Amino acid sequence: MIVWFKKYNSILRASIITALEYKANTIVGLFAIFTGLSIEYLIWSMVYESPSNNYSIDGWTFNRLIAYIFLAMIVGQLKSSWATSFEMIMQIRQGFMNQYIVKPISFFSYNLMSFVGSNILFYIPYSILIITVPIIFPNLIFINSIQIPFFILAVIISIYLSYSIYFFMVCFAFWFGEVRSLLAAYNISMFVLAGQIIPLDFFPDSYITIINYTPIPYLIKFPVDIAMSLDVNYYEWINMLSVAFFWCIIMRLLGAMIYSIGIKRYEAYGS
Amino acid sequence: MVVRYLYLLYSIFRYSLSRDMEYKTNFIGSLFVDAIYYTVWYYFFEIIYSKTTMLGDFDREDILVFLIATFFVDTLFMMLFDGAGYLREHIRTGSLDFILLKPVNSQFLISFRYIRSYALVSLFILSIILYHVLHTFHPDSLKILNIIFFTISLLMGVLIWYSFEFIIASLTFFFRDFKTGGWLSHEVMKFSMRPDSIYTGFIRKILFTLLPMALVSSVPSRLLLHGFTYQNQKYFFLQILIVSILLLMTRFFWKIGLKRYESAQSYTGPVI
Repeated sequence: MIVWFKKYNSILRASIITALEYKANTIVGLFAIFTGLSIEYLIWSMVYESPSNNYSIDGWTFNRLIAYIFLAMIVGQLKSSWATSFEMIMQIRQGFMNQYIVKPISFFSYNLMSFVGSNILFYIPYSILIITVPIIFPNLIFINSIQIPFFILAVIISIYLSYSIYFFMVCFAFWFGEVRSLLAAYNISMFVLAGQIIPLDFFPDSYITIINYTPIPYLIKFPVDIAMSLDVNYYEWINMLSVAFFWCIIMRLLGAMIYSIGIKRYEAYGS
Repeated sequence: MVVRYLYLLYSIFRYSLSRDMEYKTNFIGSLFVDAIYYTVWYYFFEIIYSKTTMLGDFDREDILVFLIATFFVDTLFMMLFDGAGYLREHIRTGSLDFILLKPVNSQFLISFRYIRSYALVSLFILSIILYHVLHTFHPDSLKILNIIFFTISLLMGVLIWYSFEFIIASLTFFFRDFKTGGWLSHEVMKFSMRPDSIYTGFIRKILFTLLPMALVSSVPSRLLLHGFTYQNQKYFFLQILIVSILLLMTRFFWKIGLKRYESAQSYTGPVI
């Protein structure tokens, strides 16, 4: 692990330096959070004003729902690696994979570190936002300080799991050349179906039953649930973290398998 | 001159079609993305309407028309003006030189650089769905006049999106590398993807004037659902005024921007 980190640390540093060149990203990222939140705030305030909804919907008060959407948007943006994935597709399509074949660099790890590094400008302002959330929404988020390390761990797992899923899809570019549409479809569907703008509790039971057998709940719902949990439940959290970790291994193995088959088909066309 | 530009547009379409056919998987995949996009947003509003009956003036059946109008705007925008988004890359790499050297209006060429041919299929499917929705839930709205005003208003909605995309992309002339421009325009456009009735007070005023996203899909839906009423006439004429101002602004930003263009990196690669 230390050897691995030493090896890829330089890539991380290089991408952090590059990210620091584009500070406007942070401003647009924050703008995205606030526009998204304000739109959802307006739409849900209208729903909650409806006379049929007596203060709460499916056990969710308005403030709780807004706090959820706020956190979900932050986690959703942190885990989204579609920009890196698009670059990876271009590398496969345009024959830039040679460097990963002739050098002792892993395509997965290189781009993972590049993705983490390029997101560095988001981590700082989002962390500040998350710290201020308990002040804006008292008694809704991080009621107990022990929730914070579990939340951070769940977010790290979410980022890794999301990246592994993207990587798995990226590898299909070895066969089809252009798979950006696949990633776009996944990205759009996850926006709603992973609970980024609506809590999964609002979805029909049949949907929840199905997605509980997939990694989807561990992308956004799980980290946000930890942050918003009213009780400390170590057993449940550790159990869920184990399942999320299991999904990371599954997706990583699937990605590695598809990559190893795909790279044999690679012809360095256009390099 | 008009005929010449129409012929040029036709040539671009033929070129785009042959280009899209090279990646057939992506062509089919793009239709698949559209289908997912439509389904996901429909599902989103289904969930909202399972908790309430009305969102301002829009009930469950009205929102279907609004959603289809939004999909129409999105598909038409992607089909016609997708090239405008590449302006950032042209400026950054210096490949804009190749466009400026051609004996045609450069803003025209950069805006209509690619025509997404798959969108024609999506438009056809959306038209059938719209007809079915109107026939089932709003038979009184199936009038020629309503459809004409809806179509004109929809095209103006597309032009509002185009203007914002183009103006934001033109900022690359001033900031050199405005990578986040695409993301920024997407975030601005997001306001148009919810019915205007959710916006109240100051935000509503802003979204009908300075950031006229409420005019993009909500006004065409209102025109189709309720016809050319007094209130809708006001919206319609406001749309014409705003679109005219925005199109003039695109010309202004383009001309001012070109004066600052330095042909950045003496680009020698393929013209994207």
